[in-house]
Amino acid sequence: MLEKDERPESPEEMLRVIQEQSAATSKRLNGDPLLLYVPWGVAWLLGFTALFLHYGLDGRPYAPISQMQGVAVLLVAQMVAGAVAAVGIVRMNRLVRGDSSIRGAMYGYAWSAGMVLMVIIGTRLGPLLPPEENGLLWAGGMLTVVAVLHMVGGALWLSKPMFFTGAWVAAVNALGLLLGAGWHALLTAVLLGGGFIAVGIRWRFRS
Amino acid sequence: MTRDDSDGAALPELDPVIHAQARLRVVAALNVLRDGDELAFNSMRDLLGMTAGNLSVHLSKLEDAGYVRITKTHKGRTPATYAALTPRGRLAFEDYTKAIRALLDTAGGAP
Repeated sequence: MLEKDERPESPEEMLRVIQEQSAATSKRLNGDPLLLYVPWGVAWLLGFTALFLHYGLDGRPYAPISQMQGVAVLLVAQMVAGAVAAVGIVRMNRLVRGDSSIRGAMYGYAWSAGMVLMVIIGTRLGPLLPPEENGLLWAGGMLTVVAVLHMVGGALWLSKPMFFTGAWVAAVNALGLLLGAGWHALLTAVLLGGGFIAVGIRWRFRS
Repeated sequence: MTRDDSDGAALPELDPVIHAQARLRVVAALNVLRDGDELAFNSMRDLLGMTAGNLSVHLSKLEDAGYVRITKTHKGRTPATYAALTPRGRLAFEDYTKAIRALLDTAGGAP
């Protein structure tokens, strides 16, 4: 077996070996986009579609769904997405140790801190707002954390796709916040839910 | 970059430590890691599709050449081995890749 491995090959063959091995390794180390992006896309598509049907675009609901039911769909779907993403992250972390693991852990804590703060802000200020604005506070705040941390992640790992994903979330979130709860839910469901599903699938099968 | 055209197999400028498919794959995989990171032995075996014995032999050769740093440690009670390229190993891989590309260019066989 060793003898076969030792045999020198043609330069073409060796270059192919280098390219294939580098690509396969990057793919393994960067995690599976199907696990990291698609579940969030599905969660947002389901949750924000439910909320959109509740809000409607002109103040009249399109379906008999209460705000709490919409929020419940979103929360449950996000918990499933979080669990699936955790599997992807744990699988990634088993491979490597060193500076990257430390960087990844700090980045993970930044996510937790952002989300916890968002919950505190929403719990403290939400009840003071009308129901639609309250929903906007929660959804807009959460997506702000997602947008900023994706852009920061892009900077940490020098990943343009990650950075632009964050910028995309920021842009859609900003537009939705300006237009109101119904539009925010619609834009988030289609452009971010659908967008994350498309990005995850494309990323996985392109490289 | 000169090459002995009378004999296509003679490639004197290619680093013999890396110019073997299995070790080239080990080095190419480790080169993807960022500085300060180490790859776990078991995941490497998986990634490269090699047996533990085979991978150990190649890693020792690379370690002897000063291209790879091996760290043996414990994860709980089970022993764990990690590998990373040394700066010298990274340089050797870069030089090797350059040499291969140059050979392909002079041969007019670039893909």
